[in-house]
Amino acid sequence: MNWLQVILTVVTIGSIFSVVTLALNLQYARGGMINFGVVAYFAAGAYIYAIFTHPAPEGLDQYIIGLDWPWWAGFIAAGIASLLFAVLTGWPTLRLRGEYLAVTTFAFAEVLYSFLLNERRIGNGAVGLSNIERPIRDWGTIDEKYIFAIVAVALMFLTAWIFRKLLNSPYGRALDAIRDDEGAAQAIGKSAKRMRLQVFLLSAIPIGFAGALYAMYMTLVSPRLFTAEVSFIVWIALVLGGERTIWGAMAGTFGLILLEEVITSLPFESVSAAQNAAAMNHVVTGLLFIAVLRWQPFEWISKKLEKK
Amino acid sequence: MKKLLQVSNVTKQFGGLRAIGGYNGLSFDVDPGSFTGLIGPNGSGKSTIFNLLSGFLKPNSGSIVFDGNDITTAPPEAISERGLARTFQTPRTFSSLTVIDNVIVGADNPGERLRFSWTGKWRNQEAELKHEAVEIFGRVGLSHRVNDRVGDLSGGELRMLEVARQMIRKPKLILLDEPTAGVDPKLQQNLADLLIAIHRKGTTIIVVEHNLHFLLDLVDNLLVINRGELLAKGSPEEIRSNPEVVSAYLGGQDAAQSYKN
Ligand SMILES: Nc1ncnc2c1ncn2[C@@H]1O[C@H](COP(=O)(O)OP(=O)(O)O)[C@@H](O)[C@H]1O
Ligand SMILES: [Mg+2]
Repeated sequence: MNWLQVILTVVTIGSIFSVVTLALNLQYARGGMINFGVVAYFAAGAYIYAIFTHPAPEGLDQYIIGLDWPWWAGFIAAGIASLLFAVLTGWPTLRLRGEYLAVTTFAFAEVLYSFLLNERRIGNGAVGLSNIERPIRDWGTIDEKYIFAIVAVALMFLTAWIFRKLLNSPYGRALDAIRDDEGAAQAIGKSAKRMRLQVFLLSAIPIGFAGALYAMYMTLVSPRLFTAEVSFIVWIALVLGGERTIWGAMAGTFGLILLEEVITSLPFESVSAAQNAAAMNHVVTGLLFIAVLRWQPFEWISKKLEKK
Repeated sequence: MKKLLQVSNVTKQFGGLRAIGGYNGLSFDVDPGSFTGLIGPNGSGKSTIFNLLSGFLKPNSGSIVFDGNDITTAPPEAISERGLARTFQTPRTFSSLTVIDNVIVGADNPGERLRFSWTGKWRNQEAELKHEAVEIFGRVGLSHRVNDRVGDLSGGELRMLEVARQMIRKPKLILLDEPTAGVDPKLQQNLADLLIAIHRKGTTIIVVEHNLHFLLDLVDNLLVINRGELLAKGSPEEIRSNPEVVSAYLGGQDAAQSYKN
């Protein structure tokens, strides 16, 4: 097996998904919002990127819009699309608390999923759009797959840096106050409703960018890439990494993607061995999840660090 | 004189029962610069009145005007931004923030002194706020607690923390709901000194308090509430000699005796 390829995939996919985990970290750990439909914002970015950059339909194509715009226009549109989807879904739902918000966001994601699956005029339905515009090419002697990894890592760090800057400011402190006690925060002039919406919208933008990058990397968008499983993977990554810190969010994501990639790239003698490995993947993830929840190693580590 | 607060015919019902206002609604007003005690038996509606004034509850009828603005249906944060501060009967603090951050967070709203900025310019302004917070801590006896977690504070200290957080906002009117409950005598004295000081500087105060020894030395007028209705109002001397108050609120001679002491 090709270890370099595994590492590159883990770095690239890990970075793309880390952006989503970081956004979720901002929404949940600091904003107190449970978003179980995070895949929808990711899908919105990916599909909008595809639609903006794809050539006009011809022959057997069922989709009706392909703007054939340059990649950067598609990339910006992806961030905006995710933002708009957050406006659409956040505006009516953010007054809901806890599990209600979780159920509603989950439902929104399911609606989008079945819309993409059944409305073939958007993206060819279940078939999806393939040969997505991939602007990243070889750069001199450097292979495009390295460039891709670098771009993904850069997006991740940029997102982390911006979030960190925001959260370490008085704005982050006000968010903590609202999460701790909404009423007491209102009594000192904080608008919980407004700040929660701001966080929800702000965190959606990088998710859209990550979606566009994912579409470029896969050179494909199709509903099966954007199932509820994606939301759950990101949630598991967040919990694994310890929800309190930005580093934890990234570490959890990379750990999970690494596990997945290693198992899927192991050379197997037979199909049944591969199937067993895939099943083991889920079992290991589940056990890891239980272990982390039981012993909370990251809480422990951050407490130790705090004491120093 | 222009009133700072005008409450007109306010009623509030919970589950069909009228908790505030009786038949005609509750009406009273508050002069700027005054120091008012709000007293009444348990369950008479004092905290509910504070919740109505600060926007945490909406009246079923009537109106509330604060500093020239109708705030009857305004949300709590908007009322707070206009300069009406309150504390809660059970202290409410931010458990993930340190003691000093619990206070500074009260003064960093957009449009106030602290804003978010990419360049970190807020750090300078925050240093000023820290300075102010430490000064307030000195007055409420929390100086040794500045960098502690709020979880380590006693009930009395939490109350002082809540007061400090509102003080840094420099409100025009502050509503204090039983600020001395569970607070040791030393801190009570600190609090009394602080209230006298901010009152001298022009802050208007309404305080709900069962501890009449604490109250009567401070206030210049009293509102007596019973079953959500205004039973009497006047100077402490007037209230002291009002037989209706003595029987309804103080419930007999023993209490009246201790009240006089
Ligand atoms: N949110 C609420 N829901 C239902 N009843 C309430 C609520 N708040 C207060 N009450 C009722 O209103 C009355 C006044 O309570 P309260 O204002 O807390 O009295 P006080 O502060 O004078 O002791 C009580 O009978 C109380 O049970
Ligand atoms: Mg009360």
